Amino acid sequence: MIKLENISMKFNLGIEATSFKETFIALFNKKKRIKKNDNEFWALKNVSFEVQQGEVIGLIGSNGAGKSTLLKVVSGVMKPTKGKVTVNGIISPMIELGAGFDAELTARENVYLNGAILGYSKKFIEEKYQEIVEFSELKDFMEVPVKNFSSGMTAKLAFSIATIVNPEILIVDEILSVGDIKFQEKSKKKMMDMIKGGTTVLYVSHTLDSIRELCTKVIWLEHGEIQMIGKPNEVCDAYYKKQLG
Amino acid sequence: MIKNMANNFKKYSFLMQQLISRDFKVKYKRSILGVLWSILQPVLMMTVMAIVFSQMFKFKVEGVNYLVYLMTGLIMFNYFSEATSNAMTSVVYNFTLINKIYIPKYIFPIAKCLFVGINFLLTLIPWFAIILLSYIGLGEYACPINLWYILIPYILLCFFMFTLGIGLIVSCVSVFLRDMFYIYSIILTIWNYLTPIFYSLEILPPTLQTIFKYNPLYLFITGVRSIVLYGQRPSFVQLGSMFIVGLITMIIGLFVFKKKQDKFIYYV
Repeated sequence: MIKLENISMKFNLGIEATSFKETFIALFNKKKRIKKNDNEFWALKNVSFEVQQGEVIGLIGSNGAGKSTLLKVVSGVMKPTKGKVTVNGIISPMIELGAGFDAELTARENVYLNGAILGYSKKFIEEKYQEIVEFSELKDFMEVPVKNFSSGMTAKLAFSIATIVNPEILIVDEILSVGDIKFQEKSKKKMMDMIKGGTTVLYVSHTLDSIRELCTKVIWLEHGEIQMIGKPNEVCDAYYKKQLG
Repeated sequence: MIKNMANNFKKYSFLMQQLISRDFKVKYKRSILGVLWSILQPVLMMTVMAIVFSQMFKFKVEGVNYLVYLMTGLIMFNYFSEATSNAMTSVVYNFTLINKIYIPKYIFPIAKCLFVGINFLLTLIPWFAIILLSYIGLGEYACPINLWYILIPYILLCFFMFTLGIGLIVSCVSVFLRDMFYIYSIILTIWNYLTPIFYSLEILPPTLQTIFKYNPLYLFITGVRSIVLYGQRPSFVQLGSMFIVGLITMIIGLFVFKKKQDKFIYYV
């Protein structure tokens, strides 16, 4: 389903810093001249793993370990500097909900816009529109511009749109903490249903309890390298010990 | 590759449609006259410029209706300038999206060129109304409506390809060099004055005239003008060069964009 072979990802930290002034100073001042290698940052180093259909993979690691970069490589947003990614199946990315919303448009218009961004067809959205509205619990607010929504309401709407399909691969970046308690339970149940239906899931979270509960396999990333792959409990225990022990 | 592109195009045509309708909704939200502004604005612009240039500066183009002459140049240049500037910012403004979800990035500049294009087609309504009014005495000369009008869609298509090509190039450059936002607005101002919009090429010295004729915008604007003002078909050389200029610019634009688009993500 998903196969990563020796994936490495390089970022150039110096990109932001090349204003005219700095370039000009660097011309005359050798000390201030930034060496090229100092600016290179490897967010992922030689990462390889395989995911079979129906597996639920948890990704853990400290901030900046490369988890989100890995998800971006899998979903095709970034091309890896080195290595090869093979993905078979339709991906539904849920990396940060509501990224495709236009604040000026109403909730109803945003359902269509965001659906189109996620690659749904017009017919599909029309068919599923009622279902999306019901799941989001926002029936009375569909004609209100999204800029007037609270952040919880926006997230609820976005979650409902993103999960209306039954994707073959679902990419989830820390989103189960969306909305009020009632909605959190509901979205968790929805995820469980998808997993039971055979969806492959890549799940990033800092809540180890939910990782233990949901995942069949856990990958621990640190400084862009795989520290450990294995059973959820083993990896989570080792990670917990390293972080706090 | 072409088959691949066609498939992609089909898959993302609904997104394109949504982006264009989003632009319309956002543009006219909370304005009372709404879409009517698309028609009203060029008429008012033309009126102001007509008064300034024909009354104050006494500009004249011998033997033709100056109002139609001016408006043809004005709406065509405005389309080019608005479409390319919108296309330029479209990729950068959608970075939050590009950073999260995989979408073919060329979709943003193309959607902008089409959106401004639809607006441009609306401005053809008052433009044609003024041509009709020239029959009943608006301006000194009447503009003959003739058979060659059928060539106008062809010219506009070539013009669109040219605009799209430039739009793709500037949007790509602006990702790597944000200074382009400022540079391009200056380029457009210069280009505006170098294009015979309110003056005629004949008032310039002969050497300058030859150079000015290499301006692609002059080619497209003159093509439409010769049909509308003189009832003459542009020569086959002109018609052919329109197609070649349009096609080559579009291909260069697509090529540059395709080659650089994977690097966009590092410049967010």
